[in-house]
Amino acid sequence: MKRRRFIQTVGAYAALAAAASLPYGVARLLSPAAYAAEHEHIPLPGALGDPEEFARACIGCGLCGEVCPPRCVEFKQREGGGHVNTPYINPAKKACILCNKCMEVCPTDALTVIPVRDVNMGIAQIDRAACYPWVDEGICGACVVVCPLGDKAIHFTFANIYKPAVLDGCVGCGQCVEVCPEPSLPIRIVHRSEGTIAKHGVAARRRSY
Amino acid sequence: MQKSVKNPSALRHLNKLRWVTLTVIFLMLVLLPFIHLYQTFVASHAYDLLLPYEKVIYNAMEWLTSPFVSDPEHDLDAIKGTTWSGSLFGLKLSDPLSVISQVSGSLSLYWPFILTGLIPVVVTVLLGRVFCGWICPATFIYELNDTLAAWMRRAGVPLGDKVYDKRLKYLVLFAGLILSMLLGSIVTAAIYPPAIIGRELYYAVAQGAFGSGAVFFILTILFDLLVARRGFCRYLCPGGALYSLLGRYRLLRIQRVVEDCNDCKKCNVVCEFGLDPLQDGFGQECNNCTACIAVCPTDALVFKLQIHDQPYRGPGHLGHAYRNQQAGGES
Repeated sequence: MKRRRFIQTVGAYAALAAAASLPYGVARLLSPAAYAAEHEHIPLPGALGDPEEFARACIGCGLCGEVCPPRCVEFKQREGGGHVNTPYINPAKKACILCNKCMEVCPTDALTVIPVRDVNMGIAQIDRAACYPWVDEGICGACVVVCPLGDKAIHFTFANIYKPAVLDGCVGCGQCVEVCPEPSLPIRIVHRSEGTIAKHGVAARRRSY
Repeated sequence: MQKSVKNPSALRHLNKLRWVTLTVIFLMLVLLPFIHLYQTFVASHAYDLLLPYEKVIYNAMEWLTSPFVSDPEHDLDAIKGTTWSGSLFGLKLSDPLSVISQVSGSLSLYWPFILTGLIPVVVTVLLGRVFCGWICPATFIYELNDTLAAWMRRAGVPLGDKVYDKRLKYLVLFAGLILSMLLGSIVTAAIYPPAIIGRELYYAVAQGAFGSGAVFFILTILFDLLVARRGFCRYLCPGGALYSLLGRYRLLRIQRVVEDCNDCKKCNVVCEFGLDPLQDGFGQECNNCTACIAVCPTDALVFKLQIHDQPYRGPGHLGHAYRNQQAGGES
């Protein structure tokens, strides 16, 4: 009899916990996780380094989006999985202009004001098998011209031959991605550890992630 | 009776003022995304390249805001955000629920953020759960929904009017804090209607589509309509639970003056939160919305400054029950 009473008590508490978690479960079921390409969901400037840490600090108020002058900040829906309503930038659509407004307005420590040179949204990576000048298909240089950080971030490999190469000063704002005329996007923002030159074949398969 | 006819209490008009407040805040939340669109159009300095519908938005917002600002790109940043978290003329304000969820989710204290919740907490401690009745943009829709439900009931549509235990919402609040900690994201933001409304209006206007929160909000409206009257606010809302706890010892309370009460029970019927003003049953969940004051025919409900509810003082002195009681006592 004692055991039955114990089971009844535990069952009652479990039912209460389930009832209390029900709204959260419904909200989570409404946005099941979908695939998200990493280079299309780069972090905001001044964001906490680790995406998990960022999701813990972000309350999903949308203020960063509401002050963004180029309207580049978007919010994760299904592609965010559990991190729904947290902000991201898709630089191919609209790129960050490093204006600091989102860092200033963020009420939490998810985005904090830092100098432009310390921003780390990733780093631009160039696919030399697709970029016009690198495959000798034409002259371009749009990415070098548009870069807000000048010759600290991206330059021509040699004088006036239009082959772009990314330097360590790149903060990953993505202006070059937005302006790139090649539809297959030979330039994209990736995590800093992946390097500035896209790898192909065996080297690509050995990437760490 | 005579008193109310000759000299009706001014408190009756507070409910109208509340509706004006709710409407203004809701319209503001609709307007802010359009203002942001206008700011981005101004910042891009390319009016001629805008699409026709964007030009309409530009012209409308210019007409609306030009009397107040000289430099729309920067001056219009004065009012930003939603009731979940926002900034008003440089003053950052956040919902107390967002503050404790963030503390519980990140397991750290970031004081600049915690202090943004200070003013709402102080207001709630003094005035009670006024956010729910006077500010919350979801209340605006839920009360209209409740009016619709009343019409449908009057027309003979059978709608559910189930009653659950109101303490469930404290468990929902507790579960939200625990789940925020375990899952590593602020889960309360996904189910808290005022947060959902501000966010989804912004998504719809400035980002092109509603998100999943809109579906959740429609589900809560259906729950209110078909299952339990004002069910989400009464039984599930974690923010309401937090505000109730904070407003437990509020200073400003609606109380019944038993000498003026005639036991008509209109206050119990009109109360959105299922409280029992007729028997002095206000408690911590009263949000001082003044709906009961507005319907009281004898002005028996007044505001009082005290930190505890008065105990039940018996049937109203203008009612039959009290009269019969008196007659029985005399004979």
